[in-house]
Amino acid sequence: MAKFINYRNLTFSLNGEKYYASKVSLSAKSSPTPVLLNDGSLLDYAPENAVLGNLSVDFYLTGSFPSYINITGLNESAVSGVFAGVSITGLYPKDISFSVEPFQPIVISANFDWYGNVNVQSFVENTQSDINNFQTPNYVANAYRSFMNTNNLDGINNIISFDYSASCERPSFFYVDEKLPFRVAKLNRRCNVSLKSNALGDLIDIDGKSVNSVITLRDTYGDILDTFAISGVLIDQSYDVTNGQYMIASANISQTIADKKTLI
Amino acid sequence: MSAVISGLNIKNIFEYNSGLSYSKYDVIDFQLHTGYSLYPNYTGFGQTGLTTWFNNDSLEYFQTDGGFNVTGWTNLVTDSGKLIQTNDNVNLRPFVNFNEYYVDINGPESISGTGFASNSRTIFVIVEAGGITYPQQTQKLLKFGTSNTYGFIKLSGSNTLDNAKVFIDDQSNNAISSIYNSKNIFTIIQNNADSSLKLRQNGIQIGNYASYNSAWSNSTLTLGDNNDNESLKYYELIHFSGVLPETDIVKYEKYLYEKYFNNKRLYFAKSDVPTGYQYSPITFTGANYWTQDIDDLFKMTYGSTASFTAALSNLDMGDGYQTNVAKNLNTLNSNFTIAYNGLTDIQAKALIAFFENTPEAPKRSVYEGFKGVNINLFTPYKKNAELYFKDINHNSPYNNINNIQISAESLYDSSINYKGMLVELDEIKIRTYSSPIDQLAYNDIFYYNSVSYGDRGYYFYTGENYANTEDTIFFPTAIAPENSPTGNNSWFTKDFYFKGDIDFGIDSKIRLKVNDAKNSTIEYDKDGINYNLLEINVSFNNRSNSEARAILKFLDDKAGFKTFKYTLPQPYNKQIIVYCPEWNHTYKFYDNNDIVIKLKEIKAPFDIQTAFDTRLYFSI
Repeated sequence: MAKFINYRNLTFSLNGEKYYASKVSLSAKSSPTPVLLNDGSLLDYAPENAVLGNLSVDFYLTGSFPSYINITGLNESAVSGVFAGVSITGLYPKDISFSVEPFQPIVISANFDWYGNVNVQSFVENTQSDINNFQTPNYVANAYRSFMNTNNLDGINNIISFDYSASCERPSFFYVDEKLPFRVAKLNRRCNVSLKSNALGDLIDIDGKSVNSVITLRDTYGDILDTFAISGVLIDQSYDVTNGQYMIASANISQTIADKKTLI
Repeated sequence: MSAVISGLNIKNIFEYNSGLSYSKYDVIDFQLHTGYSLYPNYTGFGQTGLTTWFNNDSLEYFQTDGGFNVTGWTNLVTDSGKLIQTNDNVNLRPFVNFNEYYVDINGPESISGTGFASNSRTIFVIVEAGGITYPQQTQKLLKFGTSNTYGFIKLSGSNTLDNAKVFIDDQSNNAISSIYNSKNIFTIIQNNADSSLKLRQNGIQIGNYASYNSAWSNSTLTLGDNNDNESLKYYELIHFSGVLPETDIVKYEKYLYEKYFNNKRLYFAKSDVPTGYQYSPITFTGANYWTQDIDDLFKMTYGSTASFTAALSNLDMGDGYQTNVAKNLNTLNSNFTIAYNGLTDIQAKALIAFFENTPEAPKRSVYEGFKGVNINLFTPYKKNAELYFKDINHNSPYNNINNIQISAESLYDSSINYKGMLVELDEIKIRTYSSPIDQLAYNDIFYYNSVSYGDRGYYFYTGENYANTEDTIFFPTAIAPENSPTGNNSWFTKDFYFKGDIDFGIDSKIRLKVNDAKNSTIEYDKDGINYNLLEINVSFNNRSNSEARAILKFLDDKAGFKTFKYTLPQPYNKQIIVYCPEWNHTYKFYDNNDIVIKLKEIKAPFDIQTAFDTRLYFSI
């Protein structure tokens, strides 16, 4: 009888810190191309790129947001992770997101690219000792006390719910004769907030509407865990109402992250 | 700002300053000292005390015998002592090299003179010492005095950090940079007031000796007078009476550096550099921090390409017959586009500065242009190539991401080198055939050595007549002669056995004569015989490194004009005689190469072997 590894006995950590993950997905993808010859035979399958892995994880925020998975910053360094006893040394964060909905716990979703050899045949469950010592967090981010500041949102006052995301592309660069990248850069960093409210102020103009805000994430006791600033343009508005319901206004705020270059 | 820096399109590159620390990829112009230099006889700031000045700027400064051996070296300061050699033995006279800026004083040769007495003095001498036979040997740069007690500056030891020594009399001092086979500026500051004799090498003090010999105040100066196997090249010697302030010393040292080192090539930090002159580029220690070698700084990335074109003159013999006339001994021109992708702004700045500075390389010789860039090319090309950087393409898709492609040309690689032009017999990936061979893999390349022109050359293992498999075969036992490259049942081939891609196109054009009479319909006639000669491009995309190496070695060996057999794909299926005057190669990704070759059909007997190469055989 085959043995299946049970989630309850697995731990997930990033840079040595344990996270209370509700879901972890690990995948790898290669991109070979067939080499067909003019006599009709198949010579081989040729590699077109490195093995590109993806790690996606949903976890509860129990403290400040980890700086090493900051998408909008300049830091390009790899993060190390351990999932079910298997180490992944070359994790490159490329997007994070979370939703804040009334009275719901806030789950952070993070996606990483990864490169390198991961020993996927060595997944193991926790030892009994690990399980016994596993501590359930007392404080997690919750929408109950979390909010989005409306001071500079041009007429948006009563936000019902909002989603935040930050993303970037991670182009990789390889030296000749190498299968692993020497650099995984960051490209097109941006963040986005979509919100629902009762009103959205004036109609957007052809260049959108400049807005800025700060999202504050708190736990159920009101302690601030972290803040996320956005300063961009409100780019779309929509108003929806259904029979017997209140009209709900929706909007999207988009920010492109720019860093003025330091003269070298 | 130096002319070198002002000639760049990059800002914020400065002369090296030992008071600053530097980060990896920083770029500097090293001119020994910052600030300006002073000509020795410049008196704009007051009298300097210049009493002696020997240089090689003009042959008029020398008195020579009939064999251009030096009998006298004129002091440019009038009414001052000069250096002479009065001995009748011509073997004791130095030699003037008309093409160089130095006097060669070998072994026991010497010149000496009087009139150099001074209790306090500052001497600058720039000299290049040849190597010594054993570390205990010493080599005198100069000596004062005539009695048994002399004042010396001597070189000794091996040419490495802490082992290279410069002696003041009997006091040993560690040299800060190479003392043999490289120019050195030695500055001697003799101060009678505090009984000190300080020695500087290339601008940094390496010794301070209080108990120097009294002969240092003597008026007789001698250069040379060493053992037989030693040589010293004296470029210039300047002598000031009295002790010059350091602010002046650095200006005269810089004058000598600018004049003789002529170092206009930038230096690049290959790691973070601490403050301190001992970390300057020309010191033993500094060599670990600074480089002018591009391979110390950057590695190529995928997307690098190579292209080859043969410069041929086709001689049309009629009826489609033709022969290729090579325009010179090396008909094959090779160009590389070297990709350096994913660079940070700081790295890009260094690479662009390197590119723009390449014409400042020293000349290959008095008769030739400047040297190219020594570089390790990508697989499968040679690792010690010399390329001339010609064009640069720089694009930046985003903040701090830079992709740079440098187009470069190889000029000094030869098709007649039997080891290969750019895909070389390296005895690692391409080996000289000998039996037994420990293992054989499909596309393995061997050079078969033979006194027979027809037999020797490059052979490729295909598994034909043996395993008919592309797997690696371990073969510890000897290969039978009939299975050797030239055997009757060979496992190797000299033919073009590579198959092109499944998607191909062949355009064929009939060669016709056109009779175009005015006001009439044109008429076509066949142009003699052989009017269906093909000119086709064949693609080999996504090929492994081993197959790419084999294809490229095959073409490298054919040098752009030698003919070979090629079997056209279905529905043609015919074997024709072709030559390959052009091909392009792109190293796309790990074990993935694209190659496109141009084949021109030629009507010529195939049994002629073009076998002129540098492999020579001598019989005794």
